[in-house]
Amino acid sequence: MLSSCGRPSGDSSKRSETFVFARGSDAQKLDPADVDDGESVNTLAQICEGLVRFRSGTLEIEPCLAESYEISEDGLRYRFRLRNGVSFHDGTALTAEAAVYSFQRQMDPKHPAHLEEASFSYWNYLYQDVLEVRVIGPMELEFVLSQPNASLLYSLAVFPAFLVSPNALAVHGDQFQRHPVGTGPYEFVEWRPNEAIVMKRNEAYWGDPAGFERLVMSVVPDNTVRLLKLKAGEVQGMDGLQPSELDGLEGDDSLVIHREAGLNVGYLAFNLENERLKHREVREAIALAIDRESLASVALSGAGRVAHYPIPKGFLGYPETEERIPFDILKARGIVEANKSLFVEPFEIRVMNAPRQYFPDPVSVATFIKGQLENAGIPVNVVASDFKSHLNTLRNGEFEMGLIGWVGDNGDSDNFLGMFFGSWAAEKGMASNYSFYRNEQMDELLLSARREGDLLNRADLYQDVLDLWRRDLPLLPLVHGDNIAVIDARYEGFELQKIGDLRLGSVRLRGASTEQP
Amino acid sequence: MFRFALVKLWQLLLVYGLASGIIFAAMQSLEDPVSLKFSKYPNPEQVVAEKHRLGLDRPVLEQFGLFHRKFLSFDWEKSLLTGRGSWEDFKLYFPATLELTLLALLIGSVVGAALALFAREKSGRFIGRVAMSFASVGLVVPIFWVGLISLVFGSLWLGWFPMGGRFDLALIPPPEVTGLLLLDSLLAGDLWSFWDALRYLFLPAICLAVYPAANVSAVLYGRLKEPGIVALRVALLARGVGPLSLFFKHYLRVGAAPVVTVLGTTFGALLGGAVLTESVFSWPGLGRYVITSIVERDLFVAQYLLLVLILMVYVVAFISDLVVQALMVERDSVEDA
Repeated sequence: MLSSCGRPSGDSSKRSETFVFARGSDAQKLDPADVDDGESVNTLAQICEGLVRFRSGTLEIEPCLAESYEISEDGLRYRFRLRNGVSFHDGTALTAEAAVYSFQRQMDPKHPAHLEEASFSYWNYLYQDVLEVRVIGPMELEFVLSQPNASLLYSLAVFPAFLVSPNALAVHGDQFQRHPVGTGPYEFVEWRPNEAIVMKRNEAYWGDPAGFERLVMSVVPDNTVRLLKLKAGEVQGMDGLQPSELDGLEGDDSLVIHREAGLNVGYLAFNLENERLKHREVREAIALAIDRESLASVALSGAGRVAHYPIPKGFLGYPETEERIPFDILKARGIVEANKSLFVEPFEIRVMNAPRQYFPDPVSVATFIKGQLENAGIPVNVVASDFKSHLNTLRNGEFEMGLIGWVGDNGDSDNFLGMFFGSWAAEKGMASNYSFYRNEQMDELLLSARREGDLLNRADLYQDVLDLWRRDLPLLPLVHGDNIAVIDARYEGFELQKIGDLRLGSVRLRGASTEQP
Repeated sequence: MFRFALVKLWQLLLVYGLASGIIFAAMQSLEDPVSLKFSKYPNPEQVVAEKHRLGLDRPVLEQFGLFHRKFLSFDWEKSLLTGRGSWEDFKLYFPATLELTLLALLIGSVVGAALALFAREKSGRFIGRVAMSFASVGLVVPIFWVGLISLVFGSLWLGWFPMGGRFDLALIPPPEVTGLLLLDSLLAGDLWSFWDALRYLFLPAICLAVYPAANVSAVLYGRLKEPGIVALRVALLARGVGPLSLFFKHYLRVGAAPVVTVLGTTFGALLGGAVLTESVFSWPGLGRYVITSIVERDLFVAQYLLLVLILMVYVVAFISDLVVQALMVERDSVEDA
């Protein structure tokens, strides 16, 4: 009586026309200029696009809504020529006039779409050097910078720079975040909070048409249930898989596991304002006493790689021959012996109790480190708290050592090193330089690297930054956590993106033809 | 009756005062919800401005006053994280929880009553003991565990039920009137949607019904074993009253009052238990939302909705009190006869 086989005919075909992606929590806001949670970004990435984008699966920039771009010799002007014949989902044509709107509303507090409750918090960081964005022709716009900033082009490929329809903003006002309108392969239909966000294919898309009539981002909070749903075919893709569940999926032909190193780093921050940790030898002893290779394989169930530097491999300035911090417990013990008085009281390591991309199981990382340090004669207490409390403790510098990490936004070294080592990021309460490391030479290097237009020179400057980091050791990099997504094997075209956003526009049923528009 | 109402009103004020004080104090201990809403790039000036706009920079007592004024005048602040109004959120998530809870109570009381009556008639026999031991197990078994087992069994193996969620994402839901999908689909005359909504509701409702079923059967069974009722049974049977009539006419009547009390108090427990059920079954309800709002430091949502939940539990208990009073009057007259 309760079987599901009595569905009306035609329903099964409808089902194959719907792709459901499941994740653990819901989006918060769907306004690209005012979000910072991954779920919102991953939804918006189906609906909106920027002037440029990362070539799928890489960190190389390719044209998107701009068909070409040009950077002036002095690095102060970026000129974009828009693609012809593109329109937003509400029919608004993409013109230079429409494009600059998405930037001006973030820059100008008096702009009608600079909504009171929106924070535009990314603008002040990733785009801080933009002085003006202006129309210079019907389909041409120009960014004017106050000083050269080599990471701007990358930042323009990131979600705060997605273009949204000016008309939709005018119509919806502060409700725009619940009716997002962009140019992407899917068009927003309906949002049932904590349940699902429903989208439909953009039939007028300028690129390859999307693979499905309907795309649904559904919320399945329980990790076990999410995987069960995927196995049962109720959803076709998911993220948020726990590393411990990976083993159970090996050899399951009906699912494809996509995984690769994410653009993130999990590290141990030393609070340099602490009486004991301000001594370099204390930090060195701690660094030498931790076997980071085992940490990556044991405490992370293999779902991460050892971090030798505070930036991921392949980033500008990452040395060709790695100079690794060794695991040398004898040397660590020697330092402890020589500075006995500093190691009497136990050190406190603060950690969050919920998984992050860089630490799928943070408490086990802390416990592992505790064991290692105590081996070297360094007593340790671990204090775990929920993520927001933890963040608050670290931002206010009320700790000795803290396990924390960073997920990159634009794939640029400045987005990591500037946040970790710049003295401007060491303001109590708002800090991201959790070590409260202040060094004029470091500031100087970071700022000149940001202004340097020449790639080779920039790489050199970042190498100097890394040398200085290694000398002062304000933090100890531990791991780069993997990005993981699982997709039903009957579908193809999915690729993980370096900066971690989802692109589902290219996913289609295996064997389905891709007709050109 | 007037006195009774007055006492209850006084109690309501007391509950409101205590609950709001405790909730407000607890929320004060959550560090800095405004800067923590930015997980990455908090902007000092913006944080200060926003705190000012929300009145969070005022003295604590003034904030407490503001909290009452806003709450009582329904001028609720918006969610810090989603920008949706807290009241709007309540209207959004509450129907889902209500629908689930009501169905669970219905299933729970029917199953619980049936178990108790069955056990009463088979008392002393093995099968009767089995029936009553179900009641004891039902009181202690963890709901999320029952949920996972029922998902594996009912969805994965048998394939009869969807694996959580509220409605088929490939279908269009009926127009919203009450927010209760079962009711809305009937109002729209859409039987297919009704059927679909019922399929989604079935497992979580069964799972949530375990606790009230156990409670109801234990209380009803105890009542039926009271000497007075035992004597009544003998008298009625001697008078030639059939077993069916005995069940439905007399037992339920004498048992109704304690059962209603149990249901009234269980309602509160269910709203709490629903948090786990809502997580396991991906049910977009209020319990899960409130818990998330606390973890995520969504100050206003957490404050208002917790307070509303507490008041609601109190009001339901109050209504069940009234019903019990009415039933008692009637029952006394029955027993006298």
